[in-house]
Amino acid sequence: MAISVKNYTNRYVSIAILIVMAVWAALFYAVIMDEVYDNIDDGLKNQKILIIREVYSNPKLIEESKEFGINQFVIRKVENLEETVDQNKFSKEFIYMPYDAEEEPYRILRTGFYDASGKPYHLEIRTSTVEEDDFLINLAISLLVLYVVIVLSILIINHYMLGRAWQPFKQILKNLSKYRFGKANSFEAVSSPVSEFNDLNNHISHMIQQNEKVFDNQKRFLENAAHELQTPLAVGINKLELVLENSHLNEDDTVRIVEAKRSLQRMVNLNKSLLTLSRINNQQYAGNDNVLVNTIVRDLLMDYEDVLQYKDIKVDFQEKGEFLVDANTDLMQILFSNLLSNAIKYNLKSGSIAIDISSNAISVSNTSTERALNPDYIFERFYKGNQDHNSNGLGLSIVHTILEKYPTLKIQYAYQNNMQVFEIKKVE
Amino acid sequence: MKVLIVEDELALQQGIREFLEGEKFLVETASTYLEAVDKVMNYPYDCVLLDIMLTGGSGMDVLREMRANQVKSSVLILSAKDSVEDKVAGLEIGADDYLAKPFHFAELLARLKSIIRRNAQDGEQLLRYKNVSLNPETREVKINGVNLTLNRKEYDLFYYFMLRPNKLQEKSTLAETVWGDHADQADNLDFIYSQIKNLRKKLKSANADCDIQAVYGVGYKLI
Repeated sequence: MAISVKNYTNRYVSIAILIVMAVWAALFYAVIMDEVYDNIDDGLKNQKILIIREVYSNPKLIEESKEFGINQFVIRKVENLEETVDQNKFSKEFIYMPYDAEEEPYRILRTGFYDASGKPYHLEIRTSTVEEDDFLINLAISLLVLYVVIVLSILIINHYMLGRAWQPFKQILKNLSKYRFGKANSFEAVSSPVSEFNDLNNHISHMIQQNEKVFDNQKRFLENAAHELQTPLAVGINKLELVLENSHLNEDDTVRIVEAKRSLQRMVNLNKSLLTLSRINNQQYAGNDNVLVNTIVRDLLMDYEDVLQYKDIKVDFQEKGEFLVDANTDLMQILFSNLLSNAIKYNLKSGSIAIDISSNAISVSNTSTERALNPDYIFERFYKGNQDHNSNGLGLSIVHTILEKYPTLKIQYAYQNNMQVFEIKKVE
Repeated sequence: MKVLIVEDELALQQGIREFLEGEKFLVETASTYLEAVDKVMNYPYDCVLLDIMLTGGSGMDVLREMRANQVKSSVLILSAKDSVEDKVAGLEIGADDYLAKPFHFAELLARLKSIIRRNAQDGEQLLRYKNVSLNPETREVKINGVNLTLNRKEYDLFYYFMLRPNKLQEKSTLAETVWGDHADQADNLDFIYSQIKNLRKKLKSANADCDIQAVYGVGYKLI
């Protein structure tokens, strides 16, 4: 799942700080403990020298130091005379301490010496040392507090600082979402003190301008090409008509010429559709009225009456409400005539069409020669279900382009009960 | 009937000329803006077929010049720009009708005749063929002087036949001119057949001397 850049950095920063502090704590602990033992051991060694000096000047001390007294050392006779005694051995032991009423850690130096007469003695000196576990716990607690404080401050600083720093970025995103293709001015550049965002801004503006230019060129090309085709098509069709005037033509030639003319006529229709598309895109259908779609559909059904009758198509026209839209009348006419003509064109002989109008939706369903269509492609230009010769593949594309102009209208396609269903709904 | 064709595409100009001459019109032509202005200012025409995009200027300006100088000739705009604004603008400046290129000659003829009829002062302009007469003004069809009742589509069809008797009326042209743009939505044009059948029946039972004949499966003609 995607998370915001703020949380993203926070997550890594908190983990990184945790690791750094753990490593640091371990090193710190090791160094401190090393220093502490070093100090204590030095003290013990120093005490050893003092004790040995004292024993030399006062041999009675050997007898008086059989037990740990306040000076915290004992001297014992060595039984085995072969033993070397004057090596320093440090160790840590837990010894009962009355003050705390529990075992506490002691640092113990076990060594030995030879007295003035050369007799070897064991010497054991002890001193209270750090309670490592307490130290460790205290260290951990203070580090935890430090960790929490650092992470919290980073979170707070990040929250305010990153929030401010990313503000232009959010604005750029917001402006981008307002951008509508075909309207270069609909993207507003955002000025920011952050150079990266300025770069982003400039690149986006540049890209939009480039795209618009390409789109514009294509649009103009389409329009010009369609226009330029009109005249030669007109010439072609009219010349063929003149040939047909000639009543001496035999049947084969007549049929051939009529077929040629029909091909040209198909091209004319394709051309008209392309021009319609480009006009819709060029906002040439300006001006909105309050259009009552019911009337449009009713009129269209009347226009198609003969065709419907010929194909023996039953029309089930249900008006449950008035579908009123604020739109261009011509465009609505084009839209519904495309939908209805498709419903007729792809219908079966003796099929049926169901038109259902309510106040916020209108659906056109028809029995069809085809199975379910792919909703991903049907609205694309030149998409044809099967290779059929009566379609230029632009009808639904025109419907789609018209609806793009009206964000409050949405079209949905479904294949239900063996019917192709196109439903146009009002959305808020 | 005198008609001026203002059209810079010579092939098209010549085609229209040939067709209209076949329909017994007196035809003159102009290919450029200046030629067009010169002719419309100096000679009266029953109708001017005016292309919008001309070398040297716009057909709209020719029309403006005409109206500014009180030239009364009717104007039918022929334009490759089939856009609503152009149509509205043209009609506002004073054109009588507007026909988008490409067009069928049958449609051109029907428009032309209706414009001329509207502007003609001298009474009724009946179309007559054999014992049938058709009055475009009242949309009445009479056979031997007896009224024949036709519904709207039947009348429209019959009007095209009466405009050009003995000429092939192609199915696609009839469909487009009578049923409008919606006709090409039907996957075939056979639906015309039932209308023609009805029309024939009515003509026959009214003892009309004329009949509608199928031509090679591509169209019909009034004989």
